[in-house]
Amino acid sequence: MKWPTLKPNDTPADVTLLLEGTYPMVRGGVASWVEQMIRGMPDRRFAIVFMGGSESAYDGILYDKPDNVVHLECHYLMDAGQNVDEPRQFEGNRKAFAASDSLHQYFKEPGASDPNKQLCEVAQLLGKKGNLAHEDFLYSRQAWEQIVEYYRKYCTDPSFLDYFWSVRNMHSPLFLLAKIARNLPPSRCLHSISTGYAGFLGALARHLHDIPFIVTEHGIYTKERQIDLTEAEWIKTYDDVLTHGFRHDVSYIRRLWIRFFDGIGRLTYSAANPITTLYEGNRERQIIDGAPAEHTRVIPNGIRVDRFAPLRNQTFDNTAPVIALIGRVAPIKEIKTFVRAMRIVATRLPGAQGWIVGPEAEDPEYAQECRDLAEQLDLNGTVQFRGFQKTEDVLSQIRVATLTSISEAQPLVALEAMAAGIPVVCTDVGSCYEIVHGHAKEHLTSLTTPPDPANAAGRIVPIADPGATAAAILELLMDRPAWESARAVGIARVDAQYSESLMLERYEHLYTEVTDGSRPLAAAGE
Amino acid sequence: MAGIGFELRKLLRKDSYFGLLRAYGYAGIISSGPWVLSILVIMAIGLLALGLLPDRSDQIWQFLVSVTYLVAASLCLSGLAQLIFTRFVADRLFEKKQGIILPNLIGLLTVMNLLAAGIGLTVLLTLFGGTPLLYQVEMFVGFVLLTNIWCITVFITGMKAYRQVLWAFFIGYSVTFVLGMALRRYDLEGLLGGFVIGQGILCYILLFLVLRYYPGDRIAAFDLRRANLTFRSLIFTGLFYNLGIWADKFLFWYNPATSEHVIGPLRASPIYDFPIFLAYLSIVPGMAVFLIRMETDFSERYDAYYNAVRDGDTLSHIELRLDRMVETVRQGVYDIFKIQGITVVALLLVAPSLIDWLGFSPYYVPLFNIDIVAVGIQVLFMAILNVLFYLDKLKIALLLCLLFFVSNVLLTLLSMYLGAIFYGYGFALSLMISSLVGLAVLDREFQQLTYQTFMLQRQS
Repeated sequence: MKWPTLKPNDTPADVTLLLEGTYPMVRGGVASWVEQMIRGMPDRRFAIVFMGGSESAYDGILYDKPDNVVHLECHYLMDAGQNVDEPRQFEGNRKAFAASDSLHQYFKEPGASDPNKQLCEVAQLLGKKGNLAHEDFLYSRQAWEQIVEYYRKYCTDPSFLDYFWSVRNMHSPLFLLAKIARNLPPSRCLHSISTGYAGFLGALARHLHDIPFIVTEHGIYTKERQIDLTEAEWIKTYDDVLTHGFRHDVSYIRRLWIRFFDGIGRLTYSAANPITTLYEGNRERQIIDGAPAEHTRVIPNGIRVDRFAPLRNQTFDNTAPVIALIGRVAPIKEIKTFVRAMRIVATRLPGAQGWIVGPEAEDPEYAQECRDLAEQLDLNGTVQFRGFQKTEDVLSQIRVATLTSISEAQPLVALEAMAAGIPVVCTDVGSCYEIVHGHAKEHLTSLTTPPDPANAAGRIVPIADPGATAAAILELLMDRPAWESARAVGIARVDAQYSESLMLERYEHLYTEVTDGSRPLAAAGE
Repeated sequence: MAGIGFELRKLLRKDSYFGLLRAYGYAGIISSGPWVLSILVIMAIGLLALGLLPDRSDQIWQFLVSVTYLVAASLCLSGLAQLIFTRFVADRLFEKKQGIILPNLIGLLTVMNLLAAGIGLTVLLTLFGGTPLLYQVEMFVGFVLLTNIWCITVFITGMKAYRQVLWAFFIGYSVTFVLGMALRRYDLEGLLGGFVIGQGILCYILLFLVLRYYPGDRIAAFDLRRANLTFRSLIFTGLFYNLGIWADKFLFWYNPATSEHVIGPLRASPIYDFPIFLAYLSIVPGMAVFLIRMETDFSERYDAYYNAVRDGDTLSHIELRLDRMVETVRQGVYDIFKIQGITVVALLLVAPSLIDWLGFSPYYVPLFNIDIVAVGIQVLFMAILNVLFYLDKLKIALLLCLLFFVSNVLLTLLSMYLGAIFYGYGFALSLMISSLVGLAVLDREFQQLTYQTFMLQRQS
């Protein structure tokens, strides 16, 4: 199917979504959410700017075109160096590099100044020949001198070659982003669904065109990149033989990359308003990473409650002690804790069953380990690996849903269980605490009161604690009033706070709010 | 065949005065041996024949001039291929693709033979009417043979097999000398016949060496055709360098005021030619120093620098390596100055007696003096060009050679206009200008080398 593009003089799109590595080229939680948003606001016209790594890494567009998408453009950041001029020697623009220098100083000492002025200046120069075009960055003497100066001042790793190429590689997408920012489709506001390169694009466009810019983060981009980079094998680590095992600091090149994403994240935060995320914990993290608190707000994701509400009568009458973990069989879901917890549950409550419902293709080795563990613990028949199944079919047959994950953002499956009238037992990750207790976790002080179980949609347990998990499950299975209370709280909470319509209504409101009275980005370019 | 740098280093490492002398002596012989031999043998044939057959001086004179023209013309023609083929050999050696070098030499020789034959025939048919047929045939064969010899020499020198080249030249020129003497009674055709047969033998020894030691994986190949534009500039660099060297001589040969008719279309300038060929013998010490510096210290430090870049050294280490490389170049220039300077001064002192002893007129002395200075600077100029080739600054090398050629033409014409006491100054000054410009450019290039190495590479 052919996706359309807007010409400079066409009616501006209401919202231009800036998407990095997700819809419509990659499936996943965020991509589903984007589709949910677009299809949920049929009256708004959406433009999509997709950014990916290199073109060969994708299989093309994976989604059907919604009627209200009026524009799609795709860019590949790793292929950014392909269209530059041949190398030639020249001096470069001293003033432009001075501006770039002052922006870099901000990265080294964030908080010392407001970066908007520097970014605004650099945004005007970036991608312009003779100022900060890609060629200026690659070939000019000024660029060379800046790289050498920073290397001498800051780099503690030995290899200049590694430093040089890291600097080149991390910057080269920025010049493409500047070009994209100059030629955005006409739009009334920009909405980036991450910080990173997409967020930086939004920040550049915000400064170039003075157009409203919203950032929504599901996971925290900077944090995810940090984890990637700490594990990245393509970055060489220089270890002396004797310090092996004693030194835990991260190599300079790694820190350079981490700080790079941290830096463009800060620029994004300072240019965006509002900045939304799914739950309070993430909002706090954004503030630590440089987001102005007054611009942040929480907008949780919503589910289609009407899909699950019809199950409520059925689940109320369920008596079989079945507990389900709905999710991929992968290490991040910590399935083994659930298996171990089931050993305790089955001992105390013979006849209890634990279902693991989800695909095993992602990590077959791990799946086999989980099966072996179940066999060792003599749980054949008690713990069942049921593969992928329709969520409604599972929820209609169980009494407790659990999530033993070591990391989650806002798990929709917990909300879906609550909507169907099933109490949940979740580890204390992501927004689980908020979902179960109805408010953000307070920081532990001597005055902290334990959460009120009467206001809980289930139980929160520590990570990787089979004993506590089993105890919570047993409590809900064996104490009927506690089960009914948790069920009632869950149903009420999902209806009031986590419905799709509420989420869409909040974003509708947000779009109206930011575009009200602002001038749309009419003709692309200058 | 171990590289020459290795052998020289071994000699230098003996750490004794004698070892040092041997190293320089060795370097002198292998770097200058071939052409010193050729100049000496031709001169010896000329002088001895003159002594034995004083009444045939015209014929002997014709022989010397004919050989000079053959050498000049063949050098200019093979100069087209000299540098680009040297570079081709070096690159393939670096890639460890020895197998495709020989086929390309054969391919190159095929092309050069066709060219030489075409040019030779055209020139003979249009300009050599009236000269004896045997003389014409000898000139033609000599021209083709010499062109081949220079090309093969480039190849073997590229392989750093200096010793083999030297032996081949020794044998070839011994035959040339013996046959020349034996056939002297047959006048010009005899002398030239001896030369041509000697060159033929030299050519086949060189070919034998090449085929024996450097097997190829095909019979012939023409990969040079695919050389990119930058490399093609080497064709013109080689052309202008050789034209530059011969420009002043051609001008003197064809200026009626300074030349006389010799045979067919060939003219010569007795006052100009003899001192310059004699002077070329004086650059042996400079060439020895140059070879030692290039082959030992410079190539070592050049590798160290690029290894530091490639292996991810710190920037200060990379710059330290660059400094050390620059230091060897500076040291090399100083050494050439010192050694060649002492040689020049010594020769200036003995020049009058030397010229007298050889039986020439004292009028030659001033020209000889300026010529030994000029050829001394030529060593320096060659050293600068070599460093530029190492650094892959091919465009700059081309411009320098062009500067040398143009300034030699203009300044030589000026010196002719100014009169006999300025003869030779055109050649000397043009070399001086080109060398000074070369040094300045080299200095600038070294300052920018690390920037260029990192920043101006092609994106892959």
